[in-house]
Amino acid sequence: MKPALTAASLTAALSLTLGLTVGGAPALAHHSFAMFDPAKVLSLKGTVKDFEWSNPHVSLWVLAPPAGGGEAELWTVELTSPGNLTRLGWTRHSLKAGDHVVVEVNPLRNGQHGGGFRKVTLTDTGQTLGGALRDLEKPANP
Amino acid sequence: MARVTAARSFGLVAILVSVMTTAAAASEPAPAIDPPPTAQNWSDLAKLPDWSGVWIPESWQITTARHPPSWRPEILKDVEALKALEKAGHPKGLYVDCLPEGMPSFIIMTLGATEFLYTPGRVTILNEFDGNRQRRIYTDGRGHPDDPDLTFNGHSVGRWEGGTLVVDTAAILPQTYLPVSQAVGIPNDGDAHIIERIHLIGPDRLVDEMTVEAPHVLAAPWRVTRNFTRTRERRSDIVEASCRQGDFIAGKDAQGHAAFLPIGHTEDGAPLPPDQVKPPQ
Repeated sequence: MKPALTAASLTAALSLTLGLTVGGAPALAHHSFAMFDPAKVLSLKGTVKDFEWSNPHVSLWVLAPPAGGGEAELWTVELTSPGNLTRLGWTRHSLKAGDHVVVEVNPLRNGQHGGGFRKVTLTDTGQTLGGALRDLEKPANP
Repeated sequence: MARVTAARSFGLVAILVSVMTTAAAASEPAPAIDPPPTAQNWSDLAKLPDWSGVWIPESWQITTARHPPSWRPEILKDVEALKALEKAGHPKGLYVDCLPEGMPSFIIMTLGATEFLYTPGRVTILNEFDGNRQRRIYTDGRGHPDDPDLTFNGHSVGRWEGGTLVVDTAAILPQTYLPVSQAVGIPNDGDAHIIERIHLIGPDRLVDEMTVEAPHVLAAPWRVTRNFTRTRERRSDIVEASCRQGDFIAGKDAQGHAAFLPIGHTEDGAPLPPDQVKPPQ
């Protein structure tokens, strides 16, 4: 596997793309998950590069080799908000750089390396975390 | 139409009250200040139903499937076009540009926890969603302003009928969407008016029964309800929730200071790794 990007190199790479891709772009941060294909499920088996505990969507950056093998590729995975994840039992420490994971996503429809989160399994511990909002709908006094 | 809707009845009453208020105002101007609440005002709040805690909205899919709106015939093609865009993964409308979703989406479509605060003369609804948005519902007997500024959530006045808060909302921006699905909507095009009846339906269940009038796009008032479930877990407390932080990633600026650095994303807003970002065409 290709060595993981350092935080500095990731930042530098992001900065390089800035001039080409972000200038003049509309503010989009909150969006639906319509761009992810609910009919497709992809498992990314790899290593956490970054876990951004941010609103409106937490993002998980994962380095994972293609299904047929080869150099690891960087993927971005979007989850629900920090507030909703906290209610589901997550914390900002639930995932960290270097964690070995299997992440199940609905991939972007256009084939770019992005996905909508379904669940993650930490392969070293076997712990699985989900992000379904319906699991929040439990009464205080059932 | 022989059948007069509850909303229109309310509207008629509101108009009469408004006329009466206006007549009274001719001789007695409306107060320029809100009087300080009395001890009795504060103690009266304890008689209201207990809506404390954090309220989790039911899935929006359930809400919209239960009560679909009746669109005007000439609007249907726009609705179908929006649905097709969403199905193709390119939704337009709601959740674009981080503008407030506004009413009625504030209630119908939120994915965020909600809380209700009582203070004398007012109920405040706080929502975690997309920037901790809020509504102020005046319960001190005032009406809508004569010439209100139009806003995303509109101007809301309410009254208590037993354990039910009845809310009348007007002055909603015409650009504010009526939701079609999660991320697409039709602008109300003006003159929107909403009546809500909010009340408990169980120890930890609350409903907002809403009648939405939008005569330029709806063929009939839209009766729609959204249920909420209460939690008292401390981990469910409402937290800060900005709308645009996700356009950035934490890093360092050129001077070495902590900073949020913009990242690339798809045209529909999903973040992308640097090597996946395409230059603009």
